[in-house]
Amino acid sequence: MSVSREEVLRIAQLAELHVEEEQLPMLVEQMSRILDYVAQLSQLPAGEMVKPFLAGPDATGFHADEVRPAPLARSPAEMAPAFKDGYFLVPKLGQFGSVDDVPEEE
Amino acid sequence: MTTVAEAVATARATVERLTKAKRLHALLTPATELRKSLLQQAQAAHPSGVLYGMPVVVKDNICTLDFTTTCGSKILAGWRAPYDATAVARLRAAGALIAGKSNCDEFAMGSSTEHSAYGRSVHPLDKTRVPGGSSGGSAALVAAGVVPAALGSETGGSVRQPASFCGIVGIKPTYGRVSRYGLVAFGSSLDQIGVFGRSVHDAGRVLSVISGRDPRDATCEERDALRLPTVPESLNGFVIGIPKEYFPSDLDPGVRRACERSIRLLKDLGAAVREVSLPHTAHAVPAYYIVAPAEASSNLARYDGVRYGPRAEDAGDVRSLYRNTRGEGFGPEVRRRILVGTYVLSSGYYDAYYRKAQQARALIAQDFRNAFDRGVDLLFTPTTPTTAFKAGEKLADPVAMYLSDIFVCTANLAGLPAMSLPIGRVKGLPVGGQFIGQAFLEDEMLEAAYALERVVPATEEA
Repeated sequence: MSVSREEVLRIAQLAELHVEEEQLPMLVEQMSRILDYVAQLSQLPAGEMVKPFLAGPDATGFHADEVRPAPLARSPAEMAPAFKDGYFLVPKLGQFGSVDDVPEEE
Repeated sequence: MTTVAEAVATARATVERLTKAKRLHALLTPATELRKSLLQQAQAAHPSGVLYGMPVVVKDNICTLDFTTTCGSKILAGWRAPYDATAVARLRAAGALIAGKSNCDEFAMGSSTEHSAYGRSVHPLDKTRVPGGSSGGSAALVAAGVVPAALGSETGGSVRQPASFCGIVGIKPTYGRVSRYGLVAFGSSLDQIGVFGRSVHDAGRVLSVISGRDPRDATCEERDALRLPTVPESLNGFVIGIPKEYFPSDLDPGVRRACERSIRLLKDLGAAVREVSLPHTAHAVPAYYIVAPAEASSNLARYDGVRYGPRAEDAGDVRSLYRNTRGEGFGPEVRRRILVGTYVLSSGYYDAYYRKAQQARALIAQDFRNAFDRGVDLLFTPTTPTTAFKAGEKLADPVAMYLSDIFVCTANLAGLPAMSLPIGRVKGLPVGGQFIGQAFLEDEMLEAAYALERVVPATEEA
């Protein structure tokens, strides 16, 4: 297996994604299968770095720096699960930023 | 069509056809809402528009003011966009009627529509098979004759693959030809809105309308709208390359026969045909399945239960809110891709995965440039290695599903225009042939497709 159960849990935390315990064995197996498959790119010779390719315009077009009304037919209040007095409502920040729940690497 | 009465009659007939096509499970818009909206649109549409009265279905990851935009996901259940995508606004300005939102794999991640949170769509010719994906709902509705054209989106072949499976025309324009404003982002360096049509002309007409510069999308090129070519008498002067890497020994024999018949027809039409090599093609699927999930893991960070859609109940703090909303809202394929994308971008793995994928992408783009620099105007290949597969056949193995994109994802990685058109059948199922063109030379690609379409026995066994 390319990834362990602990690595999947750690990545899920980085991605802010809750994963149920019963989903873990299959996720470990499938992520390993995918990562093993894409790892074939390691056969590309090191040092044969060509200029990175990006489609699209060579340069980003700039516009005048002026305030324009947002053409929204619906306000954020209509789209948000909770909204009051111009603010999105969320629960307390709580342990946001805590690293205590990040499992140690084996 | 020139009168409001005719447009209204078309709207009514479209609703009737869409209702009858319920078995395809291809449309996510409820019939009552669709009927009301279509009749209102028909009354309001501008009769001088070049698409006046044409019903066009729109994939559910493209924003529309009417109808919900859910991207086939529970995390956007019930969400209504606050604006029309530029492509949709241009369709309306041309008099087209937006005929509802079509089913798709969740956030366009999939090749079968089996990853839609709202159930899979059905192949119009065989209910046990998939219509392809991720734009499978749009493809199924066009193939069933319900609408003449539809919008889809491409990140790695999601228009051409279902077009091939369903036996219709599907076009992916050059990256930057069509504005992405209002297309829900998946892989921003790859995403493009594409079109489906029953014929090259129908698909081309719609592409022409939606193309062209848009100040709301900085990746949209400063170019005028695409001008459609006329149908050519012959393909004299065209040089068409046949990349040998797209004809592997394990290619489905029926698909091979159909392609070889088309190549003979291209020669008969006057084109010079020569074999070419695109030596880094084998790296395309692994490169794509690093780049696209990496970009998706960033783009989908915005779905956190704060600004859009439903949120998880009883979250004690904001971090639990994020995690629970995303854990409950995303389906299995999206979760997998977010995790893979986060993994390949994480410290210690970036060089081994993401940097290698960027290297492969650059080499693949260089392969195409080399072929075109040697005098080839267009490339011709099979669109998919097989015809439409059975539902459930590839669900357990994500890599098997990914490999159905092997001939289509290269054009996305290189930002090139490409299209699929029907070129025959194998055991009753459609086979697609693919043209890949040079950047912003969609007109040449359409010319060749017009010519081949006229002579190829698209509904006959190969």
